Amino acid sequence: MTIINRILTTLRRFLRPTSAPPLLSPEELQRLFTARYRSFRELLAANTNTLEAMAELEKALRDGRTLSMTFIRSRCTLVTVNVYKIIHNLNKIADGRYSELERIFSRLQQSIETLLAGNQGRTEGDPVLDLERIGRAQADLAGEKMANLGEAGSLAGIRIPPGFALTAVATRLFFQRNQLYPKINHLIQQMDITKLEDLHRKSMAIQEMIRNCPLPPELESLLFDHFDQLAAVMSGLKVAVRSSALAEDLGQASFAGLYHTELDVGRDTLASAYKSVLASKYTPRAISYRLAKGFRHEETEMCVGFLAMIEPAVSGICYSRSIGGRGDTLDLFFAPGGAKGIVDGTRSTSHLLMERTAPHRIVRRLEAEDALGARLTDAQAVSLAEIGMQLEQHFGAPQDIEWSIDPAGTLFILQSRPISTSPFVATETDQPPAQEDERVLLHGGVTGCAGAGCGPVFIVHSPEDMLHFPKRAVLVVKHPLPEWAPLLKRAAALVAETGSEAGHLATLSREFGLPSLLALGRATEILTNGETVTVDAAHRAIYRGRIEELLHDNGKHPNLMEGSPVQQTLISVLKLISPLNLTDPASPDFHACRCRTLHDITRFCHEKSVLEMFDFGKRYHFDKGAAKRLRDNLPLEWWLIDLGEGLQPHYDIRSPDIAITDIACPPMQAIWEGMHAVAWEGPPTAGLRTMVSFLFQSAVHNGLDPSRTSALREKNYFLISKNYCNLSVRLGYHYAMIEAMLGNRPVDRYITFRFKGGAAGEDQRIQRIELLAEVLEQFDYRIERIGDALTARVERETEQFVVDRLKVLGYLTIHTRQLDMVMVDAGARQFFRDKFIQEIEEMLNHE
Amino acid sequence: MSEQAFKLEAALKIHLLLVDDEPEFKEVMQKHLSRMGIRLSLSECCLDALGTLEAHAIDVVIMDMNMPGMDGIQCLKKVKERWPLIEVIILTGHASVKSGIEGMESGAFDYCLKPIDVRELIEKIELAAQKALINQEDAAS
Repeated sequence: MTIINRILTTLRRFLRPTSAPPLLSPEELQRLFTARYRSFRELLAANTNTLEAMAELEKALRDGRTLSMTFIRSRCTLVTVNVYKIIHNLNKIADGRYSELERIFSRLQQSIETLLAGNQGRTEGDPVLDLERIGRAQADLAGEKMANLGEAGSLAGIRIPPGFALTAVATRLFFQRNQLYPKINHLIQQMDITKLEDLHRKSMAIQEMIRNCPLPPELESLLFDHFDQLAAVMSGLKVAVRSSALAEDLGQASFAGLYHTELDVGRDTLASAYKSVLASKYTPRAISYRLAKGFRHEETEMCVGFLAMIEPAVSGICYSRSIGGRGDTLDLFFAPGGAKGIVDGTRSTSHLLMERTAPHRIVRRLEAEDALGARLTDAQAVSLAEIGMQLEQHFGAPQDIEWSIDPAGTLFILQSRPISTSPFVATETDQPPAQEDERVLLHGGVTGCAGAGCGPVFIVHSPEDMLHFPKRAVLVVKHPLPEWAPLLKRAAALVAETGSEAGHLATLSREFGLPSLLALGRATEILTNGETVTVDAAHRAIYRGRIEELLHDNGKHPNLMEGSPVQQTLISVLKLISPLNLTDPASPDFHACRCRTLHDITRFCHEKSVLEMFDFGKRYHFDKGAAKRLRDNLPLEWWLIDLGEGLQPHYDIRSPDIAITDIACPPMQAIWEGMHAVAWEGPPTAGLRTMVSFLFQSAVHNGLDPSRTSALREKNYFLISKNYCNLSVRLGYHYAMIEAMLGNRPVDRYITFRFKGGAAGEDQRIQRIELLAEVLEQFDYRIERIGDALTARVERETEQFVVDRLKVLGYLTIHTRQLDMVMVDAGARQFFRDKFIQEIEEMLNHE
Repeated sequence: MSEQAFKLEAALKIHLLLVDDEPEFKEVMQKHLSRMGIRLSLSECCLDALGTLEAHAIDVVIMDMNMPGMDGIQCLKKVKERWPLIEVIILTGHASVKSGIEGMESGAFDYCLKPIDVRELIEKIELAAQKALINQEDAAS
């Protein structure tokens, strides 16, 4: 748009006839003015609530901390409800002239709802599928585990047990027929995940509910028909009933051992085993894992596989790339009988480290002491290595493969999934600790996850013990069972008497970056509860006390939420909520139709509500409610409206401007005094780097330009009465708000200061918020800070105390203007903090 | 009179109805509100609440969204249709953008999420009380 066009647009706007307000009596005008002021107050409260909830969402994303869909849904609800209130109240203040916003809001609200609802229940297909009909293409229907297994079975030379799967369609049929979804969602939304007791109680209630529901008759008959067809060709058929949830067995989240598997299931217990596996989606360990890794309950639908049992002579795990860190080798872990004892860590396990390339030479052989009978010939080991490499090549990533060999020597693949991707490896060092180091309490075992952790010992024998597990304690257990998984996020290290690197809990410890040491015999006897120890998992030793030098090398903890579905949902909804495009009220783009996010609407409405309030007197020819411009020497505009008894009796109400001596409002006078106590040096000079960043933002945000005179000519607004003052003062993109009451009773004396955002980059905005918080805290303000949103309060203090704190705010509103431009580092913050504190102290002592 | 004092005084003048089927929550609220001197009635469900509203001059209602029987939004609509001057605060442990906006469009004074801090809820009650009294004054004038 050319300059001439802009001028013409502006002129047209001024010349456009506006609807004439109705003629009202003075009493009616006063009533109308009061009603609008109430709406204005409601709008300001909703504005604060919106910005706070928004800041909580932004902070959660930035911190990468664990966040649940319940949290995201509740904050999004608060934001939308409050933006609704903002629009509603603005339209009340402005005689409905911003109804256009309702349409924009409605569109944003619906988009947010759609994103929060996710894509549950979209896959269609058969409720039951034979395993031979399942491949990777059916992953959304049969779950990851069955999809991978079916696909593996289709490859030449690989044998899998025969079987079938009840798909996500069957699960939905079961849940919908029994109306389970709303009941479960209700319990999950009310769950306090930080309290293990609550988690256990609600988890049990959900599982019980699922187990007690009947199977829909058509589903039951499909289940039995498929079992009977299999039994017709396999006499004495028993099946393994295995979980195969959607999104289970992915590289970034293994869900290792979190769901239930039931072995040796016959026809009579088929339905109950199915329901038990469905219910296992809601065990405490599964719920807390999904939460920690950012998976949505509703999108991890449980599918169930029914695989014919084979009699295992020897079973084990093959990692097609060694988890010990040697990239040219693969691991084979094995034990006699089934694989259950290996993955739940209750059995001693033999280990072969083999070369990945043919002829797959054995690099190291470690026989478990009690592994007698685990006969794995070298030829079988080589076959397993070949299959491991074949599966890795087929699936395009290193695989974690579960296998069994029957007494006839036939090899069956039971599972193949990507190895859990984690920078934390199960490395062990060749240098055990010095024997003479008297601080060593225990040494030996195998490294589950390298690293070191320190904390008090807490031995867990039972689920009841879990409820008392303190944060950052060292978790010590006899067997590394998957049921201890909810404690991994709280623990400083894990120690177990049995187990191997191949166990489920060891896998999870690597995902969580938790140092773990396994197969350390007598750990529960030698370690005592409460004693502080340092676990050096890489060097396989436990030391008495805290050993700082061992803890130094610990890397950062992984961001468990990174790339997760919950984080993706948060990022998507924040795109509709958080970005601020409407930054400069003087820009022609500052218009309702330009609002693209809820933040834009909030910002737009706040600006317009203040203008509407200050336009009331002129619009309705109501002198008492008319805005007056304050005469002042600062290069800023100050406007004022009297809500009642805030002006000196001698003041002529028809005058268009006003002097501070005409004011009879002590809180405003105190703020004003603080503003003028120390001469302002003008906006600070920004460094080159900041200017570059700022110019970039100016290019992104239309109309933002620090050199514009409008940046200094911005209007600031006081609403006052005898004891009350509400100041909207521009400190950046947003108004900062000061609300103060200075009455006779303690309950009537308070100050609230609220501020969010600024014009510069995020780091600088945070630096300025930190600076404001530090100075205000120095002068006795109670601070609440969420991201770049700050609230500071003083309440129920003496009159002089409140007056002095208002002066502090007055000083800061002037001297921190545009300061975010130069807040490039903590050094700048410290410089200004010291300067401000010194000048404020001088100001307060001067009296 | 200051805003703070006005809000508190308004809360002391009103008759509040709490509609919730959760006994623990009702007990906690009853304890706090009676200590403050706020007049309180209790109902288990919407049907019961409508009966109480017929029998007493209620000013503010706090209503849980998930109750046995009638759905919270339907109940809110019935209350606002029959007694438009009453202010209703919706409470829910099952936050959803849709129900939040539906509640506001149906005339709720506020929509709050459970668990809620008692002090925060009392603050909301005070504001709703203030609004309800203003509604009554405006209707009278």
